[in-house]
Amino acid sequence: MLIVAGPVGAHSHDGGQNHPEQQGRIFSVMDGVRDLDLDDEIRYLTAHPAPLEDLSRVHATKYLNELESFCRQGGGNLDPDTFALSDSWDAACRAAGAGLEAIAELERLGDGVAFVPVRPPGHHAGAERGMGFCLLNNVAVSAAALTARGQRVLIVDWDVHHGNGTQAIFWDDPDVLYISTHQWPLFPGTGRADEIGGPNAIGLTVNIPLPPGTTGDIVRMALEVVAQPTIDQFNPDWVLVSCGFDGHRDDPLGELALSSGDFAQLAQLASSFAPRSGRLVLFLEGGYSATALRSSVATTLGALLEVPVEQEATTFGGPGSEAIEAARRGRVQAMDALRMKSHLAGGQG
Amino acid sequence: MTPIKTIAVGFDGSMNSQAAVTWASHLASALGAHLKVVHAVGLLEHAGQSRHTAARSEDGRALALAAGLLSSQVEWLAVDGDPLSALLRMTEAPHSVDLLVVGSRGAGQHSGTLLGSTSLELVEHSGVAVAVIPQGGPRDDSELGAPSRSE
Repeated sequence: MLIVAGPVGAHSHDGGQNHPEQQGRIFSVMDGVRDLDLDDEIRYLTAHPAPLEDLSRVHATKYLNELESFCRQGGGNLDPDTFALSDSWDAACRAAGAGLEAIAELERLGDGVAFVPVRPPGHHAGAERGMGFCLLNNVAVSAAALTARGQRVLIVDWDVHHGNGTQAIFWDDPDVLYISTHQWPLFPGTGRADEIGGPNAIGLTVNIPLPPGTTGDIVRMALEVVAQPTIDQFNPDWVLVSCGFDGHRDDPLGELALSSGDFAQLAQLASSFAPRSGRLVLFLEGGYSATALRSSVATTLGALLEVPVEQEATTFGGPGSEAIEAARRGRVQAMDALRMKSHLAGGQG
Repeated sequence: MTPIKTIAVGFDGSMNSQAAVTWASHLASALGAHLKVVHAVGLLEHAGQSRHTAARSEDGRALALAAGLLSSQVEWLAVDGDPLSALLRMTEAPHSVDLLVVGSRGAGQHSGTLLGSTSLELVEHSGVAVAVIPQGGPRDDSELGAPSRSE
């Protein structure tokens, strides 16, 4: 069973056709969902606005008030990339609420996979500010709702850009394991391998920066070699995926070289991280090529539901194997340094 | 008071940022400080305006040199990120600048609120002094040397 919470943003938060983060993305995504021909095996949920209580676990009240007021007054640009319009507050709240609806439905069914096709996207939004096309951090709102109930949450972020907002929000949270594969160097300039988490969550941020041209085999290897040991140790109750498709080779905003077939394999790998069926939710993040979005959504969801879908061949042979070893090594060194610092501080105390 | 040895100034090509670079260059020249002209490369720029960035690099350096700085005192940095994050990163190692300089209103930004105002957000979040240069620059170069101090 596929749970689709949304869509959100098909008819709101309209920055125009010249902005890559546009309404048409949702139409492409939903075409990809329809390509699966799921008939009775799909359930659509209406995305209601996330309650303030849930938003406030992640975002500062001051920011929420300012963003709502900014939008109500007509909005404008938050930065050269990011716009907020008169209806963007409502769209952002519904985008943030969609994940909560998806989780509730999965809990009710005890089975299935959930997909949250929403915009504006979320993973760049931090506690106190939006940026990088993002206003509210959708995946973080859901993760925080789960940890508030004592659940342990793994967030896998395979968007081409590092999810700096999500990382910052859960930097020192021992109940959230954040794992990101992303192109480096690239916006937003964060996500080095030695960024490993705060003092209460050392090692629970896993960054695997990858060079332009990286192919699917390398991204999978990155998750298996660098991230899998930490995931096994962490033992998550839920897996939330920041599911950006801008790592596709046709995407205009990145230079990774993935195909739609690669996303299918990444989805299967993410599914294997979940403790059981009914504990996997995929949140749309980036993805700015209409055709790549449609095919990647179809193959990703098709792989999880075991529905045969026409897909591009998986890719291999690109650069990045050295980057994986560097990430592994950088991570170990950073953790050793932090442990040493902690040991010395303890000795002095 | 910490001596000002290194200054970072935000530059996006707007008139305000040009005024900021000129002001920062005069100050750096007077203090014998090093100047980093910082340009934040956002998502949209990365997607298709790279030639624009190259032109801005020349513009930024030209403004600094015209204000009397030696070429060896000026460094151009294109930094991935939004303007606020890019400038705040300049306060951390290895850059560790002593002063941030920014125009009062960058290109495409909304005025009057914290949201959308790099200058206001910088003043709120920076751990080093921040100088916000008004549109058109200070009235008189004699006003140099009195940057506002952020808390």
